Amino acid sequence: MADIEQNSAPVRNPVTAHPPVRQMTAVQRFFLSNEFGLIVLIVLFTIIFASISPMFLSNFSLYAMGRTAAVNIMIGFSMMVVIVTGGLNLGVGAIGVCGAMFGGWLMQAAGLHWLPACFGALIVGALLGATNGVMIVKSGLHSFIITLATMSVMFGAMIFLTQAESFREISPAFSTLGRMKILAVLSPMLLTAIVIGVLLWLAFKFTTVGREILAAGANARAAELSGIRVGRMITYAHALSGVLAVVAGLMLVSRTGAAIPSMAGQLGQDWLLPAFLGPVLGGNLLTGGRISVLGTFLGAFLVTMLTTGLLLMQVGAFWVQTYLGLLLLIAVLLDLARRSYLARNKLV
Amino acid sequence: MSQFTFQAHAVTKTFPGVVALDKVNLSLTPGSVHALLGENGAGKSTLIKIMTGVHRHDAGHMEIDGTLFAPQSTREAIAAGVGVVHQERNVIPRFSVAENIFLETLSADPWKPINYPKLYRDAEHWLDLLEIDADPSTKVEDLPVAKIQLVEIAKALALKSRILMLDEPTASLTQHETERLFSIVKRLRDDGVSLVFVSHKLEEVQEICDQVTVLRDGRNACESQPLEGLGRQDIVRLMIGRTEQIPTWSQRDCRDRDVALELRGVATQAGHTDVSLSLHKGEVLGLYGLVGSGRTELAKAIIGADKVTGGEILVEGTPRNITSVADALHQNRIGYVSEDRKSEGLILMHSVLDNAGITVWRRLQNAIGAFTDRSVEKAVSPVVKKLEVRTPSLHQTIGNLSGGNQQKVSVAKWLAANVSILIIDEPTVGVDIKTKAYVHELIRDLADAGTSVLLITSDMPEMVTVADRILVMDEFQIRGEVINDRDYDRVSHEIMQHIHGSSEVAAE
Ligand SMILES: Nc1ncnc2c1ncn2[C@@H]1O[C@H](COP(=O)(O)OP(=O)(O)OP(=O)(O)O)[C@@H](O)[C@H]1O
Ligand SMILES: [Mg+2]
Repeated sequence: MADIEQNSAPVRNPVTAHPPVRQMTAVQRFFLSNEFGLIVLIVLFTIIFASISPMFLSNFSLYAMGRTAAVNIMIGFSMMVVIVTGGLNLGVGAIGVCGAMFGGWLMQAAGLHWLPACFGALIVGALLGATNGVMIVKSGLHSFIITLATMSVMFGAMIFLTQAESFREISPAFSTLGRMKILAVLSPMLLTAIVIGVLLWLAFKFTTVGREILAAGANARAAELSGIRVGRMITYAHALSGVLAVVAGLMLVSRTGAAIPSMAGQLGQDWLLPAFLGPVLGGNLLTGGRISVLGTFLGAFLVTMLTTGLLLMQVGAFWVQTYLGLLLLIAVLLDLARRSYLARNKLV
Repeated sequence: MSQFTFQAHAVTKTFPGVVALDKVNLSLTPGSVHALLGENGAGKSTLIKIMTGVHRHDAGHMEIDGTLFAPQSTREAIAAGVGVVHQERNVIPRFSVAENIFLETLSADPWKPINYPKLYRDAEHWLDLLEIDADPSTKVEDLPVAKIQLVEIAKALALKSRILMLDEPTASLTQHETERLFSIVKRLRDDGVSLVFVSHKLEEVQEICDQVTVLRDGRNACESQPLEGLGRQDIVRLMIGRTEQIPTWSQRDCRDRDVALELRGVATQAGHTDVSLSLHKGEVLGLYGLVGSGRTELAKAIIGADKVTGGEILVEGTPRNITSVADALHQNRIGYVSEDRKSEGLILMHSVLDNAGITVWRRLQNAIGAFTDRSVEKAVSPVVKKLEVRTPSLHQTIGNLSGGNQQKVSVAKWLAANVSILIIDEPTVGVDIKTKAYVHELIRDLADAGTSVLLITSDMPEMVTVADRILVMDEFQIRGEVINDRDYDRVSHEIMQHIHGSSEVAAE
């Protein structure tokens, strides 16, 4: 029994018993993050485009890019808040256009001031989104199916109600916003997108509802058994998605000075690629449970920049789509490489 | 030729922020059952995962029959004759029992069509051997936790390995199934297989093992020595550095207090037809039964996760219609610690803090529904500290913690929830003896402070230590009541009598 006595020394303190193990600071973690990778790409492409075409960094080009980016960012946010629940919203475009058309109608036919009109439009977005949410929860079907169906229904109903006519008499004050320049380069729309981004970040970090949506997305059963109303959270997420989609739609209305039924293409499908690109480049898991608002923001920005740059280089529009598709693949592969590098070097 | 089947020399493994194994040695001899012991987070599962090709070690080397062994994948380990039952569940829920048991052989030749009748017949053999009462074609997801565990064991046995590692195989088994497993283990041992057995139940270790290796903080506290001559307290001292403290709590009787929760003739969709019980304020009411007796199902019905089809549930004397866990928690202040931490108790991809705090967010939020992590930390850290959750930080992903440490958080989140009625289902599955005592203390503290506790556990000593009164459940019915006077032999005997009495009646 001698060796037992020898071994039964007092418990070692686990922290001091071993040589210190590498622990990362917050700054180091940021440098290894997906968001930082996006920033690097943005800088890289800025340099490339600027050296090819001096026009790229002109005030007008920067302004136009910010304005387009704002719309893409909102579209990305709209998809992101549903992706974090582990679902999808194929109706981002349809809801965005429906809400924007309603806003146009309120301004033209009902003669409302643009502020209440926009508010009304956002309410429509929330209601349409919530309808999706309720149907998904009640039916137990995947959001893919439900939003695919409601997308067509909503878009069709909108075409029927508006007779496919545009509303062009929208309040001049509202369309001024879309053309306004702050300090020659900054669009109020980009500012709006930044503010909304910050609000979303705060909401998913500090509010109960935001955190419960993430929990529901990560493991619905465990969330339910922890006292979270999972169905309600999914409905909230879809309602929020509707609101964000309508913000994107209203931005387009403000920019063009008209609410046009085809502003997002047939059934709103022109928005589908940006809707996925932002969140996926931004590193949001398609299986849900994790959010990166900054990533989505940067991802959407990168996509806008590439589109603008390629168009500036007079690359045909259809090639732009091809390049965007390639970008998605490259980004995903890069992320994979980054992750395995981190795992190999024990940094995560 | 070495006398050892397997040897590990100075195996080292680090994870970010954690040294899991620090120059660990292990030698296995043929025809023996080797106990691998240590506190939660000591590194037992990590060692097993390295031996089975799940993780790669950083330094040191391993040998099988004297030749170098460094599996790069689980498949390589299996080919070398190393089989394993992992601590964490490792089955495909949507596949049938038979498909899961023969998963490795099925996937070896992906183009060969599967002969299902034969597959089911072969599976029957293993099911019979382990006395698993389940059809080979049932989906694993439809089985209760304990049966899934048995399927895991069958799966490992079907590989017919020369080295078989069992990482806490008995954690969610009751005595009967454990005995069944042990008779198989003994047979394998006598056939010359080297077995490694991990468990926090020292009685089991002393019953079945002949050699022992203890890990402490990732280092050998003792190395492949005979178990003979080591008493329980010797082993405990190797594990935790001091002897065990066994609480000698006196008898408690709360039956003259107000009733906090009452069931009157409750029937459920799960299969209960007529269950009545009352839980008094500040009482710890035990619910004992064998696996599949309907205890968890009853708990789920009470908290609104399963359907109640008849009878009445009264909370503090008023009939309540609870339709969701949120109702139970927010309207009735009832909480439920799930027996299944992996799929029901925890959100594995989220942090320790998010998991521990999920039940307190709504309590801590301000007027606009916001809260800070700091306030959550303040609310949960007393419990998390008391249970000594071993983690590099509260922001660590909980899926990276050792099994026992995950379990601690799964319990901690409800101990911090400030509920007045708490249903606790198998709270100490996979928890080491030291922390187990802390869990018991915390339950006791809650009860002393007025919380009513319904304790479901298959661990008889735990039941006798903690419960004030014990109800015995069998086949979805309550068969009897035992007043717990902490006399282990008498109480356990009486409990088993209630169970066997009822099955005799059922057999007639
Ligand atoms: N994938 C991982 N990433 C980071 N840390 C890990 C990982 N796996 C294990 N660890 C850490 O390594 C240590 C040893 O864990 P291990 O699972 O081997 O413990 P254990 O002895 O099996 O404990 P238990 O009795 O709780 O099962 C723990 O501190 C754990 O947090
Ligand atoms: Mg373990």
